[in-house]
Amino acid sequence: MTIATATREKHSAPVVSLVIDTDVHPMYSMNDLLPRLDEPWRSRVARFGEPSGPTQSAHVNFPRLRNGGVRLDSRVGSSPPGSELSVVQHQLLDEFDQNFAILIPLMRGEGEPALQAALCRAVNEWIREEWLDRDLRLRSTLNVPFDSPALAVKEIEHFADDHRFVQVMVPGSAHSEWGDQRYWPIYEAAAAASLPVMIHVGGRNNGYRGAGYPSYYTEEHLWLHTTVARLAMSLICSGVFEEVPSLQVALIEACISWAGPLQWAMDQTFEQLGDDLPRLKQLPSQYFRDHFWFSTQPIEEPDDPDDLLHALQFTGMTDHIMFSSDYPHWDFDSPTRALPNSIRGELREKIMGKNACRLYGLEA
Amino acid sequence: MSTIAHGAIDCDVHVEPPSMDALLDYLDPYWHEYIWGGRIGIGHSLYPPAETLSARPEARETDSFPPRTYEALREELLDPYQPLAVVLTCVASFQAGRNPYYEVAITRAINEWMRAEFLDRDSRLLGSIVVPTFNPEAAADEIDRLAGDRRFAQVLLPVRSETPWGNVRYRAIHDAVARNNIPIALHAWGGVAMAPTTTGGASSYYEDYLYNSQIVAPAQVLSLVAEGVFERHPSIRVVLSELGFGWIPSLMWRYDKDWQALWRETPWVHERPSAYIKRHFRATTSPTQISRRVTALEVEQFAGMLGASEFLMYSSDYPHDHGDDGSEKLFAALGESGREAVLRGNATAFYGIDSSRDTTATGHD
Repeated sequence: MTIATATREKHSAPVVSLVIDTDVHPMYSMNDLLPRLDEPWRSRVARFGEPSGPTQSAHVNFPRLRNGGVRLDSRVGSSPPGSELSVVQHQLLDEFDQNFAILIPLMRGEGEPALQAALCRAVNEWIREEWLDRDLRLRSTLNVPFDSPALAVKEIEHFADDHRFVQVMVPGSAHSEWGDQRYWPIYEAAAAASLPVMIHVGGRNNGYRGAGYPSYYTEEHLWLHTTVARLAMSLICSGVFEEVPSLQVALIEACISWAGPLQWAMDQTFEQLGDDLPRLKQLPSQYFRDHFWFSTQPIEEPDDPDDLLHALQFTGMTDHIMFSSDYPHWDFDSPTRALPNSIRGELREKIMGKNACRLYGLEA
Repeated sequence: MSTIAHGAIDCDVHVEPPSMDALLDYLDPYWHEYIWGGRIGIGHSLYPPAETLSARPEARETDSFPPRTYEALREELLDPYQPLAVVLTCVASFQAGRNPYYEVAITRAINEWMRAEFLDRDSRLLGSIVVPTFNPEAAADEIDRLAGDRRFAQVLLPVRSETPWGNVRYRAIHDAVARNNIPIALHAWGGVAMAPTTTGGASSYYEDYLYNSQIVAPAQVLSLVAEGVFERHPSIRVVLSELGFGWIPSLMWRYDKDWQALWRETPWVHERPSAYIKRHFRATTSPTQISRRVTALEVEQFAGMLGASEFLMYSSDYPHDHGDDGSEKLFAALGESGREAVLRGNATAFYGIDSSRDTTATGHD
């Protein structure tokens, strides 16, 4: 196999002792799923595909005018981007001497509860056999049928002993707001297994209700952070962190610079409207700082790099920011180039790896 | 409770008709029957009266808020604070139901009521034209009908919409505000029967209120830039009213970055998106959405990121009460010339207010 290396870059950034990538996307195909499905799911999925709601596909509705949304060099031979471990090793893990990479297999569909549970199990088994068993640097996210909380809890318990699954996926669009009490058993099960939960933007369909649907991928892409802001608001306002105090939540690929001013707005509004949130015992920003974590990609690039540093500091959460590349997507951030030199020293060490070690219990 | 500035141009002051009766003279008799039959009032539930944010203590004492008559407005705001000019906002039509013909009728009636009750009585008062949201052509007609009366300073659009406001289906509105050289104000709330979230409603009023600024407003800014509205109409200006502004720098940075890679999708966006945002948008100052816990240094750093001295226009958002917030730190961070710009200068330029006209409080009424 030959791999284009034209984009290989000079590693001139400050050297860090540890690189952990918290957002890497392996991509499965139907051939990966079918052998791992029992009947009647196997025949149904073979015939109808993953239940995804064809009118809801963000990729179709908002075509990504950047090589379909992936790095040009990530298509190797006939294999789709992110589908071959050897390519991911060559282009990412080895290339940047990554100590660990956290896999996030995004699932497209959402069917009836039992089918969704079967699909999640198939994806989780595929991850275990084709990825985790083959490279000790890999960790993964556990997919669960989120809108069937009892089945989701079973999936968490099924894999709880495999320490390589380091977090539980929360979809970018659920049937209720994420703070709804019907989802709390999932949060309790994750916390009981010492697993953070993680929301990654997109994944399944995104609804656009407040302002209506945008026209362009540019808007869709820039709007994804509001989904994550809504999740953060919903979880905080629900009071779930009073009920499950050890719950940790990773906000992946959602940018960071909005979060400081959002905390300011939440706190200021709470002073007037706090009676509306009777379960809260602290300021909203305190829950934010105690329970949420960020990934860096796509890192903001203000003209003045000091503005980025200050925006990160506004969150009060520089101990909760983790490097991510988003391999193999088009807006990949290189471990050597993503952070400006205004982020240096111990802060750089933390963001590039140490913070992720703490969240995911990794030992390098 | 933040203090109200003296002698400012106040860009967001709420007024409401006292009752539907006050509008009947401006409505065709057909709608009188419709209103009686449906027991339709002019009230709305956007600011529940008993809820703290809805009224400052002194406004609450009047038992009738927002101000519903010129006399009330004068007593509560004009006399004590001597504003140079006030932009009046009436959001009563934001919950006018889904009947598109009724929406045309009620918005027109509200505009006529505002003209007779306020604009005819005090030259310091400027109005907002409310327009039907389900019928862009009718909205354009209403703008053409009223914008020649320069006492109407802006066209008020609810920040929530069925489709983002930059979309081509609203071109009649874009064209109308451009040919009349009148700004747009996007104001919190709206979106009749629309839910703010993917899943439907909000779980609390607190979340619903914040969705206006934190979730919906950024989408409207993106849409207006991405659809090329400011290339087609370089004169269009937009004020973000009661929508905060803390989210603006982050949005500018991220849009500038994505535009470098994705500009082919919207080739009519010729400049960096932040250039359009800085040139065409302004935001009102209340609510600042800056918690009083934010340090003076952080507020100063933030003000620099935003270009606050150019971007902000003072508002009291009377009678709403946004509590003890970071206003003082914000105004301190602006410096003397920045404060002057935010209190008066930026609004003078934005609305094209004739600064030579008589703005004293005497001789009115």
